[in-house]
Amino acid sequence: MQQDIMTVAAATDKINQGRTLLLAGDEHALRQLPRGNWLGGTIPYFISHAEGGVASRDRIFVTDISGVVAGIEIAQYDQDSLARVYTEAPPRGFSFILIPGMSKAHLSFALNAPNYKGFGTHPLVGWIAGVHLDDLGRVRPKVFNGLTGSVIEEGALVLKATLGPGKVAEVGIINLFEQGDGDTLTFPADGFSAEEVLVNGETRNFADYILTRRLDTKLPLVADYYGAMVNISFQGIDRAAGRVKFYAPVFTGIRYKHARPLADYRTAFQARVAEEGSVAEERVIFSCNCILNYLYSELEGKKTEPFAGPVTFGEIAYQLLNQTLVFLEIHDI
Amino acid sequence: MDVPSKSHKAWMDIVTGKRLYALRFLAAKILLGRVIRSVSENPSLDNINASIEQLRNIYKKNIDTPSVQQDLITIFGEEEPCNRTS
Repeated sequence: MQQDIMTVAAATDKINQGRTLLLAGDEHALRQLPRGNWLGGTIPYFISHAEGGVASRDRIFVTDISGVVAGIEIAQYDQDSLARVYTEAPPRGFSFILIPGMSKAHLSFALNAPNYKGFGTHPLVGWIAGVHLDDLGRVRPKVFNGLTGSVIEEGALVLKATLGPGKVAEVGIINLFEQGDGDTLTFPADGFSAEEVLVNGETRNFADYILTRRLDTKLPLVADYYGAMVNISFQGIDRAAGRVKFYAPVFTGIRYKHARPLADYRTAFQARVAEEGSVAEERVIFSCNCILNYLYSELEGKKTEPFAGPVTFGEIAYQLLNQTLVFLEIHDI
Repeated sequence: MDVPSKSHKAWMDIVTGKRLYALRFLAAKILLGRVIRSVSENPSLDNINASIEQLRNIYKKNIDTPSVQQDLITIFGEEEPCNRTS
């Protein structure tokens, strides 16, 4: 099994064996690990093959990529140099990125990644590190470089993996949300929050609009990117300020619609996986899902086969996504 | 498999939104979500050519990816190799 939840001692054994690992865990657990070929981010929520959704502060979710990579290096970027993440990608492999949640790099990547030079020219996958929900506002998310032992709260770490011959990486997503039949929403400015929205072309206060229409803010805004549905999740509504906050930025010119409700996440998820058909479990080496899907769809104790992985504060498939399962496949060619 | 030259008419049809294809390669779909809007707002030849260059580069750099190869067949069909590259 390439992905599993395990004790600190078991993860330590793997590191000491020289395995190449992508790790997720609570800060206290990650700080106990020795140096080695690993990159890790803080989050204490996971979905495992054996237990389904689980919250654990003392265990670590381990993705072992030793079997597919021929070599790795880990690079650190700040919010500005991150613009080179595509042009500095390994020529034959993939880049795995971890960014601390609420950091400058998080905000910068969210806003600017679609315009980075070379966007999409190399596979880029990863996630936004978070914290236990009880620690929100008290503890900062962190990202760990196992090679050097450094721990950062600002910036980003990118594991650049070179694949062995005859292998190619591909990034995929499973997003259960689709555009509903309601109004078309556009925004006059890019950003993580909005006061004004154009509702079918008519300017309105967005907070008023949501409250008047009683829109369920557990359902995201959805944009259709040439058939790929991209979500913007609601963080909250500041009634006094008349401002709506998001977990990812809205962009000008993109047409959003409020999502169609899901009857049941797991049922819809299984149906979508069956529809996809081409996602073979043995090819999936990494996946992650969103904390909002975990919470709103009550995934604790529930499985999302064939996918397992950390439950994150944001998913990255070329750019920042919300309420979406992201996965990385390795194909033999 | 080769990636057709940027002068191939199909590239312009895609970035201008004149023709829609059921594509599979995620990066291309995300890019097209922005590019078609951009070309719609600014249909200058420079912008169209830059958009074609960007889209073609994504396919070229990911040429070994199975969904890229499927997309190229979807867009360009099974053309003779001499028609595919310049």
